[in-house]
Amino acid sequence: MIGNFLDQFWSLTFGGLSLGFIYILIALGYTLVYGVLRMINFANSEIFMVGTFATVIVIRDVFHFTQSSEYATGLRLWFILATALVISMLVSGLLSVVVEVVAYRRLRRKNSGILAPLISAIGVSMVLAETVRIMTDSRPVAAPRAMDKTFIGQFFDAGVRLDNTIIVIAALLLFIALTTFINKTRMGKAIRAVSMNANAARLMGINIDGVISATFLIGGLMTGAAGFFYVLKYENTASNIGFELGIAAFTAAILGGIGNIKGAFFGGLALGLLETYASFFLGTQWKAVTVFVVLVLVLYTRPNGIFGESMQQSRV
Amino acid sequence: MTEPLLRLENVTMQFGGVTALNNVTFDVKPQEILGLIGPNGAGKTTVFNVITGVYQVSSGVISFQGGSLAGKKRYKITKSGIARTFQNIRLWGDMTSLENVMTATDTHKKSGLLSGLFGMPISRREEKRDKARAQELLDFIGIGEYSDRLAKNLPYGVQRRLEIARALGTEPKLLLLDEPAAGFNPAEKVELADTIRRIRDAGYTVLLIEHDMSLVMKVSDRVVVLDFGQKIADDVPQKIQEDPRVIEAYLGVPENAS
Amino acid sequence: MINLRDKGAEVWEKSGRPARVAIVLASIAAVASLPLMGGTILNTPIASYESVLVNPVAMFVLMAIGLNIVIGKSGLLDLGYVAFFAIGAYTMALLGTRTGLNTWEILPIGIAMAMFAGLILGVPALKLRGDYLAIITLGFGEIVRIIALNLETLGRSEGILNIPTPPPIFGVEYAFDSHRIYFWTLLVLILLAIWMVRRLSARRAGRAWESIRQDEDVAELLGVPTFRYKIWAFVLGASVGGAAGVFYASKTLYIAPDNFTLQISILILACVVFGGMGNIWGVILGAVVLAYLPDRIRFLSEARLLVFGLVLVIMMNLRPDGLLPRKKREKALVVKEKS
Repeated sequence: MIGNFLDQFWSLTFGGLSLGFIYILIALGYTLVYGVLRMINFANSEIFMVGTFATVIVIRDVFHFTQSSEYATGLRLWFILATALVISMLVSGLLSVVVEVVAYRRLRRKNSGILAPLISAIGVSMVLAETVRIMTDSRPVAAPRAMDKTFIGQFFDAGVRLDNTIIVIAALLLFIALTTFINKTRMGKAIRAVSMNANAARLMGINIDGVISATFLIGGLMTGAAGFFYVLKYENTASNIGFELGIAAFTAAILGGIGNIKGAFFGGLALGLLETYASFFLGTQWKAVTVFVVLVLVLYTRPNGIFGESMQQSRV
Repeated sequence: MTEPLLRLENVTMQFGGVTALNNVTFDVKPQEILGLIGPNGAGKTTVFNVITGVYQVSSGVISFQGGSLAGKKRYKITKSGIARTFQNIRLWGDMTSLENVMTATDTHKKSGLLSGLFGMPISRREEKRDKARAQELLDFIGIGEYSDRLAKNLPYGVQRRLEIARALGTEPKLLLLDEPAAGFNPAEKVELADTIRRIRDAGYTVLLIEHDMSLVMKVSDRVVVLDFGQKIADDVPQKIQEDPRVIEAYLGVPENAS
Repeated sequence: MINLRDKGAEVWEKSGRPARVAIVLASIAAVASLPLMGGTILNTPIASYESVLVNPVAMFVLMAIGLNIVIGKSGLLDLGYVAFFAIGAYTMALLGTRTGLNTWEILPIGIAMAMFAGLILGVPALKLRGDYLAIITLGFGEIVRIIALNLETLGRSEGILNIPTPPPIFGVEYAFDSHRIYFWTLLVLILLAIWMVRRLSARRAGRAWESIRQDEDVAELLGVPTFRYKIWAFVLGASVGGAAGVFYASKTLYIAPDNFTLQISILILACVVFGGMGNIWGVILGAVVLAYLPDRIRFLSEARLLVFGLVLVIMMNLRPDGLLPRKKREKALVVKEKS
């Protein structure tokens, strides 16, 4: 078994990396919102799920791909991918803003503890998941393949697939763009100010509601991008995928230290790799269990995340 | 010299780079009323927080009746005989006054959940005894008529007094009062001073944080002054009022600013 | 509607002991006669009315009472309540098919297993903040299902078949399709659970939970062993879930992992929230309404979960205290306030 593992090490690693980047983007959704609200956005998993459907709809219904279509190539391929990515991001981003208004805003104004907004967000998740489930007849939906998933190169005997490469590079660019936005722009600074101390930010004249909406938007954009990458990699989706991916991405966020952008990055990568390696040894059916065990261990032993204290300064 | 009830020895408390308490040492003697004063941010409430176990001291020792409190769970510190009130009132609003106090009296019950469930005689006996005791405490503090009212609906002054009654419910040897007169008018303050004395006369020891100088000077047997986390004076009220360091610490701050 | 609870409390408090006994007996008799009203307006269009009364109505009521101890009384958001239900059910299924033990003998074992699971989960989880607790319990609920799905002994996705019905008591047979007798048995379990909760609420445990829910830090500083009482809340909640599970398995005779999804946890949560967290009568009312209506009103049954999700959002935003809020009535005041 160990021999097998070593043989497949690099191909597992590439798969794990691209999964890790998907986790990073969803984890950013959790972490950004946690930063400003100090609350887990339970609906983020369903915002991701809706993002995957946006991608499927763009590829299948806008560009009319079917299971037997020829693969797109060249400029046309890039155009299709970019469109699907942008649409998924926008759909999830806007949905995320709406979720904030429906699930959180009123309760936040009433200053009602932690239980009410949590339950309200769970309700919103339920509504989203069920609406999609009823619309899809509880069946998984296959996404037609728009691109040839060819190997574009070799790395230690392991083929490097085009889709995995796209995911890693594009996600990395998105991450860099996000970090730049948070660090350099006015709105980014306002988000950081609210994360550090909401009251002080309010006294300084920052429009808290505006900042929170912006944070949900950005978190949703990232989560929507993850939806696109997920479909690119796995070529299917279903109304119930939010739960598993959501809890894994949340674990990634906790692993790196929730509320911390860099933490989401390293947590996502670590979890993506760990999960892929663990699935190899234990079988994929225990994947969710692995994630859960990691979550419990981290929360119990290092509630600030593995990167905990040293990264406090880089909190959003 | 009598043995101190509570002793802080070289207590230092740091948060990150900020030193909230710096090498503070003082005693609380049995049956005294000790005033703890100082300008805003001097570390008074931090003293309460380290005593009650909300924070663990960075260095130094706090001992109560001769035993160290280090590492003790908060509810066990309370059970061993220290109870407090809160500067910003923190009652359980959805419980009645009586229930607020009874929750505190539960601290010393022998009967727990199971004996309550199965209606064991001990549970019934203790329940009856503590209900009477809680009502007694409410009467003692002068708010007995409010026993069936929800805490959140009580007038402000009654809430402040209920905080004291609730703390007394845990049968403390040492009672920590955190600005009990905040928001009171002069008449209420006089009444409160009387209550604090009656509490002492009933056998409790009181450590009192208060901004109102005249109240502190009137009721305290002794006063400890903190400034920037350090103890700058520890003496009887008359001497404190003449102490140049204390006057300096308060300079520019009107005496009854609160 | 707003004063329904207070009115009820008023009547209750004014009554003497004989009147109270009469009220209780009359209420029990009224509820117990529900299965006999099949031909009336209560009848359900799709499933048989009597079976709807057993499952979901009585089942949901029982579980909601259990979950209410955790969420309503102590303010701990447990999203994995289905796990305890599943553990009770699988205990019944395993022991019922492989040993000679009957349902009544397995019931305490199932309850004990669920309580033990509550302890195992509670000890690490209850040290965490509210929203972390929610996610840990959420994960736990799912883990239990995944384990059932992957363990040979638990029948994998096929589940476990041929679970025995309860043996007759007092000569009454538990035939598979005699729903009434199941309903009455569940009613007994529900009454026991109500008794337990009411008993505890009036004493030390109730005050401890209440103080934890309202301000845990202050509770700890006033001598409440908060961790111990949170564990108790968790374990007692689990015990009710476990009992429901045992009985459920013994009623349906067949269980599979699909019966124990996250949705069950959310459904029960919705019942608790809808009726009024912390108030046992509210919770019962919530469970009855939410369990019964989707079966009574045809278009609701397809979108049952959607409706439940909406209920959560709407209730939290507009009426967070539920249909019958916990707010206690203050006794008529003798005090004249200074003004």
